Amino acid sequence: MGVWDVINDLVEAATPWGIAEAEAPPAEEKAEAKDEGSKSDDAEEEEAEEAEEEEEEEELEDPKEKFEEECRNSKQCAPAKHHFDECVERVTNASDDDEGEKEDCVEEFFHLAHCATQCAAPKLWAVLK
Amino acid sequence: MLARSSLRSMRILNGARNGTTAVAKRSISSSGPSIESPMKLNMAAAASTALAIGSVAWYYHLYGPTAHAGSPAEEGLHATKYPWVHEQWFKTFDHQALRRGFQVYREVCMACHSLTRIPYRSLVGTVLTVDEAKAMAEENEYDSEPNDEGEIEKRPGKLSDYIPAPYKNDEAARAANNGALPPDLSLIIKGRHGGCDYVFSLLTGYPDEPPAGAQVGAGLNFNPYFPGTGIAMARVLYDGLVEYEDETPATTSQMAKDVVEFLNWAAEPEMDDRKRMGMKVLAVTSVLFALSVWVKRYKWASLKSRKIVYDPPKVSNKTRN
Repeated sequence: MGVWDVINDLVEAATPWGIAEAEAPPAEEKAEAKDEGSKSDDAEEEEAEEAEEEEEEEELEDPKEKFEEECRNSKQCAPAKHHFDECVERVTNASDDDEGEKEDCVEEFFHLAHCATQCAAPKLWAVLK
Repeated sequence: MLARSSLRSMRILNGARNGTTAVAKRSISSSGPSIESPMKLNMAAAASTALAIGSVAWYYHLYGPTAHAGSPAEEGLHATKYPWVHEQWFKTFDHQALRRGFQVYREVCMACHSLTRIPYRSLVGTVLTVDEAKAMAEENEYDSEPNDEGEIEKRPGKLSDYIPAPYKNDEAARAANNGALPPDLSLIIKGRHGGCDYVFSLLTGYPDEPPAGAQVGAGLNFNPYFPGTGIAMARVLYDGLVEYEDETPATTSQMAKDVVEFLNWAAEPEMDDRKRMGMKVLAVTSVLFALSVWVKRYKWASLKSRKIVYDPPKVSNKTRN
């Protein structure tokens, strides 16, 4: 979409002789075209789809998790990660003794997650459609 | 009025100050020999300063800091701000994303969550074509008008029908979900603090395992973004759960992004029109404002550019002409 398209749209909308099309007819045509296409080479497509599916299942990786993992290990989030790891270690060691009040690492986890998501957000949006 | 009253108070203050200084002068002048030593004066000044600072500190201690009744876990992790394109001033919804989001809603969310405020007709032209919407509506049965015997028959859905809810009522929904009510999603983006960011974070924010020491109630799942961190809804979005018709890779975050954008459309279907109308209003009013400024200057030109000259009569006896 360039500037020219915008201007074109504006002109088209303003001209009284322009034709407003209901959406139905083109959609039907499309559907028909699809049907024909699928009938003609069903077998080929199925094979191709199967192959694609297998590939996709292997390939699919959530970019959010990838970026957040990178961010968690980055220098930016090093203090938060340090605190979180320390807390996890402390709590796991303390839980063996089972004495007094139990501590949890929720707050440390929050700080780490906040840092990681904040750092990953723009990268993620650049990748997602 | 305010100015006048403040002026008056100023005057009173001045008067008071004059009075006190006068009194002080008098007392000093009357008790000539007993002039207080600078040491004592310094101590008095220090004491009063300390008292003033102390009272301010005490007051701040009492009323200054806001009280946080809940722990961070009870408040929930605040959702990160994501750069949503459709939230920008000059951007519309991405209707391809709406289409994908509706697919995700239909295949995933609809099993538990209703969308009762959205009729099929409103999907036409924004998410689906007329025929697709009609076909989708006809898949469901709705009560028709009473027939001759007064019985209510079922009929296939029409465009004017609303998207059917998965449960008959809230009680049925609770009973089917361990006592937790899946909220209606029609206005969920408007109805939650953080809006799009919150719902996106909630959907994608389930960690692989809760952090060490965190207490997760029976039948609940750990989600940092949910206030209290215990949410009845388990993680539902997994990579490759749906197959998009436009062959977008259906990763968890992609599905979450699409469905959140769709839910934002469901909550604010008027957004595109609203923004366009806003632009029109700004454009037209700015032209009108410029015009009114010009007219004002035009009308005032003669007043602003006139010169009033006082020509005093000459002292001499000669008459002026």
